[in-house]
Amino acid sequence: MAGRVGIDVGGTFTDAVLMQGNQIEDKAKVPTEHLDLLQTIINAIDALRVSGKHPVEQITVSTTLVTNAILQGKLPAVELLLLPGTGMRLESFSWPVSYHTLYGSIDYRGREITPPDQLEWQRLLQKLQKQKNLSHLAIVGKFSHRNKSHEEQLAHYLQRFMPTLKIALGHQWGQSNFYRRSLTTYLNLASHDIFAQFAADLQQAVAARGCHAPIFVLKADGGILPLAKLRPVESIYSGPTASVLGALAQSSTSQSFVVIDIGGTTTDLGLVLSGEPLVSSHGATIGTYSTLVRSLAVRSVPVGGDSVILTDGSNFALANYRLGPAYCLGGPAPTPTDAMCYLKLANYGDYNRAEEVLASLLQPDKRSTFNIRELASSILEAFVERIVREIHKLQQEWQNEPAYKVWGVLHPHESLNFHLWISGGGAQGIASVLGERLHSPVRVGKYPEVSNAIGAAMARPTFSCTLHLDTVLKRYRVEETGEQGPWQGSKRPHQEVDGFLTEIVQREAGEKGIDIVDLHKEPFDFFPIVQGLQTVGQIVRGAFHVPPGVIGRVKE
Amino acid sequence: MKPTGILFFPAFDWSLGETHPEREERLLYTQEQLLEEGILDLPNIRQYSPGLAPLAEVLRTQGIFPSPHAHELDAHLIAAGSALVLGEAWAKGEIRNGFALVRPPGHHAGATVLGNRGFCTLNNEGILVNFLRAHYGVKKIAIIDTDVHHGNGTQDIFYHDPNVLFISLHQDGRTLYPGSGFPHEKGGPNAWGQTLNIPLPPGTGDEGFQYILETWILPKIQEFSPDLIINSAGQDNHFTDPLASMNVTAQGYAKITDMLKPDLAVLEGGYSIEGALPYVNLAILLALAGEDFSNVRETEQLRRPHIPLKTLKSYGFELTYEYKHTQPQWTVRNELHLPAGEWVFIPHSIYYDTDGFQEIRHDRVRRCQNCGGTVYIETQRSLEKKKYALVRIPFQACPECAQAGYDLWDYLIGRYQAVLLQDQLTNRTEFWHIDQGVTTY
Repeated sequence: MAGRVGIDVGGTFTDAVLMQGNQIEDKAKVPTEHLDLLQTIINAIDALRVSGKHPVEQITVSTTLVTNAILQGKLPAVELLLLPGTGMRLESFSWPVSYHTLYGSIDYRGREITPPDQLEWQRLLQKLQKQKNLSHLAIVGKFSHRNKSHEEQLAHYLQRFMPTLKIALGHQWGQSNFYRRSLTTYLNLASHDIFAQFAADLQQAVAARGCHAPIFVLKADGGILPLAKLRPVESIYSGPTASVLGALAQSSTSQSFVVIDIGGTTTDLGLVLSGEPLVSSHGATIGTYSTLVRSLAVRSVPVGGDSVILTDGSNFALANYRLGPAYCLGGPAPTPTDAMCYLKLANYGDYNRAEEVLASLLQPDKRSTFNIRELASSILEAFVERIVREIHKLQQEWQNEPAYKVWGVLHPHESLNFHLWISGGGAQGIASVLGERLHSPVRVGKYPEVSNAIGAAMARPTFSCTLHLDTVLKRYRVEETGEQGPWQGSKRPHQEVDGFLTEIVQREAGEKGIDIVDLHKEPFDFFPIVQGLQTVGQIVRGAFHVPPGVIGRVKE
Repeated sequence: MKPTGILFFPAFDWSLGETHPEREERLLYTQEQLLEEGILDLPNIRQYSPGLAPLAEVLRTQGIFPSPHAHELDAHLIAAGSALVLGEAWAKGEIRNGFALVRPPGHHAGATVLGNRGFCTLNNEGILVNFLRAHYGVKKIAIIDTDVHHGNGTQDIFYHDPNVLFISLHQDGRTLYPGSGFPHEKGGPNAWGQTLNIPLPPGTGDEGFQYILETWILPKIQEFSPDLIINSAGQDNHFTDPLASMNVTAQGYAKITDMLKPDLAVLEGGYSIEGALPYVNLAILLALAGEDFSNVRETEQLRRPHIPLKTLKSYGFELTYEYKHTQPQWTVRNELHLPAGEWVFIPHSIYYDTDGFQEIRHDRVRRCQNCGGTVYIETQRSLEKKKYALVRIPFQACPECAQAGYDLWDYLIGRYQAVLLQDQLTNRTEFWHIDQGVTTY
């Protein structure tokens, strides 16, 4: 039987597992080398006992490559051309990148309102041709997800004179939101080269080890895609995503729980509702960029087991950075882990060192056992409080999802009984305190230290096709791929649209190399279009999708 | 600064008929426009989720006969409930102002409801106002109705209320549904001058509205000095509206909003689904949020005949004259069964266009120097024998009026098919029905 490798690159450590079906064959942990992500992943693979006896059929990586490049501002510049038309002023938003605006506008149904200005294009071309170091260019129009023609015409025009220019078009991110579409197109193009390089190097390094398994990447929405099919920006936030999937793979079906992954410097939170991870209704936001990248509803709280505890002599606070491991594990500074160790909630660390560093936070005359215990408890309480606040916000986000139909308001979310699923290095130490605070049962998996890697190994592909069809203007669009085309069916289609979307789904799945299992069909919405008291056609909206999930449950 | 709240409830699964103006498609393009602009990403905009209005909140303001359960209320309860969600956010200080972009509309629904009229069954603003008074102690409220149709339902609900200033500017009732809303309708005997109707001639445009606002409405509001300003933000004054004949643009609507500075705006009518709504809704929301709206432009051009400002000014002058010189004329009928006091009798009738019948109303209000006065309304469908009654003890009622209300309630039970007691003073709503007895809400 072939094995699956899962690798999760974390802020401090990189975890890896080798799965045989639903069983963990081997696990490993290596330090993350921030300057050499590729080497880190290779080290993790090498640390696993992958032998010829059990060939590996798939390697799935959750990588911070693009996330880090964006957050550290290491992406190359992209020339951004916008066709904003009328409406809100662009300046109403804060733009993390500069842009150039052009004439031409499209309306909400994809009709051309004003054509582009050819003279303006000529001036633009002259300017671009003089620009040094121009290699990447993104073109985004308002309502281009309804009609891509202006974007394509401009790309075509520029490409003729500048054939080496890499051009990305906004309509390929086919959800509404011009601002986010612009930034998503920008980021995806900007991260294209570094990701392609990383993909090629990784493929090569794995092949050099005699392994020819396909390599998959974990996406923000909890799905996986082959390296070559991934849009790079979709790999952001894979860490918290891996935590949620890891928890899912270690729980029984249809349960509802809060996922709490306690790392060294951050704690990641997610929500699973009756066995399905909650997907955020907004796109992901990364740094100062708001995007259209579909993601799980996750939160990162900047506190973890290694967060430094600061004091001014009487009060203490949790810093959002780490200086190394906990003091009780040989580190330089007091951390929540020292409090766990002192209170004997964790079965690792040097008790005497924990006591020593906690006492140092108190005035010399107040260093009694009683006071140290009090201090350790209140450190953990403060730690837990930070996490609890974000859990409530996450649950609020789920409760407050807008509803646009009468049916939706009359059938609100039923209240679910949540338990807590805790993973990560600090899991053991904090479990009881969290459970008491939230009055909820707590579960810690058998493998809290490699939970994320299990999530990566067991993740399945997600898939989504959202159709927007206008039978009067005879055009259809697919949100996820940006596909736009003519509609030749009837004015008031019924069964027809189901078959039409099914065909698109099959074609797309084939193209991406995905086997579709568990396809959910959302009911279609039909909006009659009326002109002069006559129904002249319909706007039809509907979606088929495979929600995030895992291929099996880990045997304990 | 606090954000602007938006509650968008387009009721995508509700219509009054497939080709009816009030249909699923109505806010579809508004949604497209708002989402594409990314307006919900602005840090000074906060989105709220719709809610369901409790029947107790509805019945405090409106009498639903023969009983609330005899009507299809779901969509209406959500529209009203959504206004309450936003009103509560405002009252708690979470938002600076807010826009309930909801359907179905409500401003034609009055103090009594026997069916749907002018696409309305429940009065979203009326329910909102009384909710905020009952739960948050808001005292003085101004409602400015900028829908092209006279807000006759809202006027009806607050006609006797001295603490609510109701102003409606609309296309002249001689040329448009519902055919009412003239300057001589100035309020009941205890609230004289608290209703102001400004019927405008077809063809009035942006500068005409701004002129009327500047010279008449804003000073009137300032003089009243309300705690809360509500805008019934109908959008059918737009030059593309298929049901009316005015000439206001999206820019004009934004400027009206900017001048009124409402705390809460609630969508009413507006049936130019493609030509106006996406742009007007965007413009109003931007104006509320204090954002630049100057770049919002509809795609169509003005084409209707226009009323020059000079003509409008002289028309406005005549209206002001008529308004100022209208004197109250009340019929006092002290019938034997009425409690002590002077009872003004106001008979009138209302046409329900959606369902096609006439409502006959006999309103009586107790004249009072100290409060809004207890109101007793008798209602029936014409050609039907079944009668219903409503007794309202107003907010801040004086002891005599409160006692009169309870005496009436005791007397009327058993004499009608159903009787509703709206005791706004002590927050008590009771409904008696001939088959079901008394239900407390």
